[in-house]
Amino acid sequence: MNLPLEISNLRKAYKGGTVDAVKGVTFTVKPGEIFGLLGPNGAGKTTIISTITTLEKPTSGSVQVFGVDVQKDPLFTKRQIGVVHQEVITSGFFDVEEILTFHSGYYGLRNNKERIHFLLEKLSLFEHRHKKVKQLSGGMKRRLMIAKALVHNPKLLLLDEPTAGVDIRLREDLWRFVEELRNDGMSILLTTHYLEEAQQLCDRVGIINLGSLVELGETKAIIRQYTHKKIRVVLTEKHLLQSEYLREVIGKEYLFVVPQNKTLGEFLSEVTIPTALIQDIHIEEGDLEEAFLKLVSRKDVQVPL
Amino acid sequence: MTGFITIFQREIARFLKVIVQTVITPFISSFLYLLIFGVSLGEQMQVHQGVSYLSFLIPGLMMMGLINNAFQNASSSVVSSKFSGDLEDLRVAPVTDQEIIWAMSLASLVRGTIVALITYSVGALFMYYRQGEWLMVAHPLTTLFFVVMAGLIFGMIGISIAFWATTFDQLSAFSAFILLPLTYLGGVFLSIEHLHPFWQAVSKANPLLYLINGLRYGILGVSDVNVWTAAVISTIGFVVFFAVAKFSLKKGSFQRW
Repeated sequence: MNLPLEISNLRKAYKGGTVDAVKGVTFTVKPGEIFGLLGPNGAGKTTIISTITTLEKPTSGSVQVFGVDVQKDPLFTKRQIGVVHQEVITSGFFDVEEILTFHSGYYGLRNNKERIHFLLEKLSLFEHRHKKVKQLSGGMKRRLMIAKALVHNPKLLLLDEPTAGVDIRLREDLWRFVEELRNDGMSILLTTHYLEEAQQLCDRVGIINLGSLVELGETKAIIRQYTHKKIRVVLTEKHLLQSEYLREVIGKEYLFVVPQNKTLGEFLSEVTIPTALIQDIHIEEGDLEEAFLKLVSRKDVQVPL
Repeated sequence: MTGFITIFQREIARFLKVIVQTVITPFISSFLYLLIFGVSLGEQMQVHQGVSYLSFLIPGLMMMGLINNAFQNASSSVVSSKFSGDLEDLRVAPVTDQEIIWAMSLASLVRGTIVALITYSVGALFMYYRQGEWLMVAHPLTTLFFVVMAGLIFGMIGISIAFWATTFDQLSAFSAFILLPLTYLGGVFLSIEHLHPFWQAVSKANPLLYLINGLRYGILGVSDVNVWTAAVISTIGFVVFFAVAKFSLKKGSFQRW
């Protein structure tokens, strides 16, 4: 079966630019997964999205959607894709329902009222369907963008920072909706710089910095590989503890930073702490943010592909 | 095909939403032109044999309104879409460049034709009031041909320029420095027969002269140029600007300002 998205060796140089915006990136999106493309601003995320939608032409390399090259048969690939752009589009002439009706027409759907109303309901926009875009709040505009991307029921959804500038409650609603779409079989490429979002949603992530992929893999595996467990032991009185993992002592609190593969049992038997003195033990698992910061700040990064 | 129909409907709906600009403005401007030039000054003007200045003026004003509105409809649609960003939607959606060009230029033609019809009606009323006779169309098919040509050509020019434009200034520069002089010097207000032979030759290099006189022939049966020459030049213009519009969509920018 053809993969929803297959990017190989994608390179993009802009006219007049001294460095390439994207330098030979390779990754795939598998059926029914949420793939996160993470990176700091200017890393090349939007450029990659733009080459998938044919807004930009790759300088070299290829982008295939369900086995078809986007440059060779754009009409086919465009029909498979739904895109939510990073910036809010504000067409001033038409109301929400008109926009969605026209948008359906671009995808060859003449009578799409049922789907449009379903999406409006789903995204809590139904009562606002006769409003112009500028009358909508920021969050409603975002949801309209998502509705637009979904009018033709695409098989591959590209979300370019869909939650930028969205409040936390709405963000969580959107996450739930994105998961629902995935459960219905949609494959999703998500770019974001909210790492919490990526950690919660993405099955796999690719971390991109300065146009190159610096890491690619399952979200959990990356967290495990690049983060440490933080164990904070609080004693009832001061005691001399010795361990290679001890990082910090504040009063009666001892902070240990331990590799992820070390179990708590192993840790406790290595660091002999008198059990009677233990008041509390807090364990913090590493998160994607920690892994991300480690990866994008590495100067010596070699692309591990 | 659905993409084409949708864009066409969207374009029509768009100019209907700004109906004051599209219908009322040309009504007022053609009324004023006819009042000042046709009625007040027209009594002292001599043009072709047997044709009053008022009736001479009407096809010229029709073509001027048609050209301006066709150009503006396409160009302002593209440019306002560049502003709001929804032009990117068109690039991302599975519609072809041909569908975009045909839909937009046909919608431009519709708007231009509405304006031309308004001008015609206002002019006809003026003529009836002043001269006691109705303005009849001498050659309906010729009239239709030149209306369609002018509407499509200027729709395509509007598309081309708007796709290349990176600022509003560039758009208004085209209107002010190229389109306006060419229409005014293209025989809207006067017959080139009255010009010095040198300026007659210069005028003949103005492509708008052929559209304006083609329509004048269609309506009045008189023209400064041979109607076949006018038809050939219009057809060439149509082919050229279709190619230019295709090139512009391919190479121009869909990106947001």
